[in-house]
Amino acid sequence: MAYLEIDNIVAGYSHGPDILRGLSATVEQGQVVCVIGPNGAGKSTLLKVISGLLHPRGGDIRLRGESISSLRPDEVLRRGICFVPQERSLFPDMSVRENIRMGGYILKDRDELDRRIESVFETFPRLRERANQHARTLSGGEQQMLAMGRTLVLEPEIVLLDEPSLGLAPQIVEQVFEIMNLFTEKGMTVLLVEQNAQKGLEYSDWCCVLDLGTMLFEGSADSVLDDPRIQELYLGRRQGARVTVQPQEGVA
Amino acid sequence: MTEILQILILGLTLGGVYALMASGLTLIFGVMRIVNLAHPIFIIAAAYISYVLFTRFNIDPLLTVPINMVVMFFFGILVYRLVFAREAENPRYSEMTVLLTFGVALILDGTLGYIFSNTQRITSPSYSTQAFFIGDLFIPKAQLYAGIFSMVLLIALWAFLKFTPMGYAIRATTQNRSAAQLLGVNVARISMLTFGIGIGLAGASGALMSFLFSFFPAKHWEWIALLMSLIVLGGMGKQLGAVVGALILSVAAAFVSNIFGPTWSPVTFFLALFIILLVRPQGLFGDKVEAT
Repeated sequence: MAYLEIDNIVAGYSHGPDILRGLSATVEQGQVVCVIGPNGAGKSTLLKVISGLLHPRGGDIRLRGESISSLRPDEVLRRGICFVPQERSLFPDMSVRENIRMGGYILKDRDELDRRIESVFETFPRLRERANQHARTLSGGEQQMLAMGRTLVLEPEIVLLDEPSLGLAPQIVEQVFEIMNLFTEKGMTVLLVEQNAQKGLEYSDWCCVLDLGTMLFEGSADSVLDDPRIQELYLGRRQGARVTVQPQEGVA
Repeated sequence: MTEILQILILGLTLGGVYALMASGLTLIFGVMRIVNLAHPIFIIAAAYISYVLFTRFNIDPLLTVPINMVVMFFFGILVYRLVFAREAENPRYSEMTVLLTFGVALILDGTLGYIFSNTQRITSPSYSTQAFFIGDLFIPKAQLYAGIFSMVLLIALWAFLKFTPMGYAIRATTQNRSAAQLLGVNVARISMLTFGIGIGLAGASGALMSFLFSFFPAKHWEWIALLMSLIVLGGMGKQLGAVVGALILSVAAAFVSNIFGPTWSPVTFFLALFIILLVRPQGLFGDKVEAT
């Protein structure tokens, strides 16, 4: 039985067309799986479906064989799956400490919650320094640190990361991936959507390449990094005259 | 000097009551983006509860504050479930709520008019005509008591929002609805309860209104403009903004009333509304809204 199983998912928004068109994949426990693909391939949609924000039109998501595709986001969270969306996932007028406390909203034991908040501060001394500042006053890197650090309060099994490096300076990007390493050291499984495919793959074990809502290719991260077709299509590193440039979304 | 102090006292005690009225309105807007045009008619409905309890059973209007809060809380939840819950997923929700709350206001206005007629009412507990005198200053007891009750309730509301898990959930939903949902907040339930709490606060202020201002059902149209100006000044959805906005405008209105006569005091609120929208449309504590 697979750990996290994505089985023939069809999904789209309100009355719009299908974005995911029969996507299947399996995720092994403890791995970092990087999902890459051009804009509109359905990468973010996939994370929304897994997290329960968007219910699929067809197919099923199973965690250890148990279907989770019809659950509400809070129910998915209780199963240990934590979603860090692309941006603006903080509460701007709450302090850093309050933001972390919200990360443990579903925990009923307040003493346990206090202990876990303390351990987040131990892991990220920077956040402790800023504990009483409003989240809106943090730098971009600190905000991402807070958004990711906050998930540790729940000690989840699976973390879904949607483009954690988006809009951050290169040296900060490095720091974001270090936090991701921390997740795997704690035995968590990470499903990562990343535009910066090169960087994402360096830190991943497995890679899924999506296109037009289906799985184009999957394989170990190393094999994808070395595959010339993938290099040409998604990494923009083709030797020769032509360089493919990843089009950037106007509105992220 | 004494005169200025006198005006300040009158303005601030009344401002506390305005702040309580506005707090529910701004809370509901903050969490659900519902511009609750029906807010004042809920206040007036609660004032009628106090009126009936006072005239029939001789219960002090101040004692009806908790009764009104509970009754109006459940009434608010009922209205929410009947009217708003089914439209919560509608992409045009915020615009629709303007019409929906307008409809609710009309229905309640008509129903109350049918039951109580459109005669002016007021409860008259003994303190409503008494005052404390300190030197040359006088403090009407009714205003003082109402102001104190309002401040106590506002502090309780602040503590509730700041320290309890549900308060966290309400603030989180206000600031970032989708993120709150992802962290396990059942935003549909929080929306319903917040609406109930907002209407419960309207209930409390209705008890205070019953002995401060004469009221009749159709009077709520005057109140909505006043309350909107308070929360627009403070920044819509901001609790502290509602309190500061209410105190500033209430004191300003007291000065206008003193200088130009009481007829002109309501003008203060409308004038303030125009000026705020021209100069700082997001209000004192509001976030700058970018054109989309």
